[in-house]
Amino acid sequence: MKSLFATLAGAMIALTLGAGPAAARVTVTGEVIDSWCYLTEIMYPLGSAHHQCAIWCAAGGIPVGILDDDGQVYIVLKIEGDSNSVANPTVLDIQSHRVTVEGDAFERDGITYLTIDRVINDEGIVNLTADEYGIQPFGE
Amino acid sequence: MKKFLLVSFAAALLYAPQPSHAAQSWDLIGEEIVRFDAQVVDLLCELIGDCPENCGGGQRQLGLVNAEGKLIPVFKNAVPFAGAVVELLDFCGKTVTADGLFSTNRGTTIFSLQFVREAPSGKWRKSNRFLRKWAETNGVEVNSNAAKTWFRNDPRIKALIAKDGKLGLGPGVLPAE
Repeated sequence: MKSLFATLAGAMIALTLGAGPAAARVTVTGEVIDSWCYLTEIMYPLGSAHHQCAIWCAAGGIPVGILDDDGQVYIVLKIEGDSNSVANPTVLDIQSHRVTVEGDAFERDGITYLTIDRVINDEGIVNLTADEYGIQPFGE
Repeated sequence: MKKFLLVSFAAALLYAPQPSHAAQSWDLIGEEIVRFDAQVVDLLCELIGDCPENCGGGQRQLGLVNAEGKLIPVFKNAVPFAGAVVELLDFCGKTVTADGLFSTNRGTTIFSLQFVREAPSGKWRKSNRFLRKWAETNGVEVNSNAAKTWFRNDPRIKALIAKDGKLGLGPGVLPAE
């Protein structure tokens, strides 16, 4: 009962504050990416070629994204109830993997943010780009 | 003589090169060098009203809301392979002057922070506090080579690379020749 009251109170506060854009329930399938390298194109940014760099950037606290099959980038702000989005160990473990996740998407000012409720499927790294692009960025 | 010295000193102050706190180009795609005032916010708080104390204490991605109400996520600081949360956390809820780079690509604009100060006239900080924090956490000097190449020396990263390899395909798996 207490938790129900807290939930309702939280919802009322959120409504009162008019917090943020409306959520869209989504299921997203795509590659977990280093969003900064991908969006700046400072180097080849996908798959196994970029995996080590993606780990560096995620551990350094750069936002992690999911690039879906239509080219949409979702910036991950929460995963499986954990709102730690700075070097989150769960996210580090699935960096560069192809995953299917379920959660809420929020679009604001041209960026789509994602809170992940659950990772439905983890295919591991399937984008085998290293044979073509080597190891990015330093080749080692 | 005193008046001459005073005038000379004032002229020297006026015309001497000022300390540079202006962002440098990184030759990013769709790059624009910018400086603007904005409030530091916790992105989740701003989006869904989930607002812990102190913007999540360094555990959450932070952004900037400018005078037009636009939410600008901050993806990067001035340290190789590092984000900007450490640089902005001290200013949670405050208005700062942010100096850095917009980069627009694939219809998305992101921001990389190079310098920051509390608006309107706080002391400029280079956005490299990440290194100091990393060095303290890992027991090395901030100016050491270990800190400068923090990404090769971070215990979490080393453990992940040892487990999964540089390509993420297993230890020792390398690109085909």
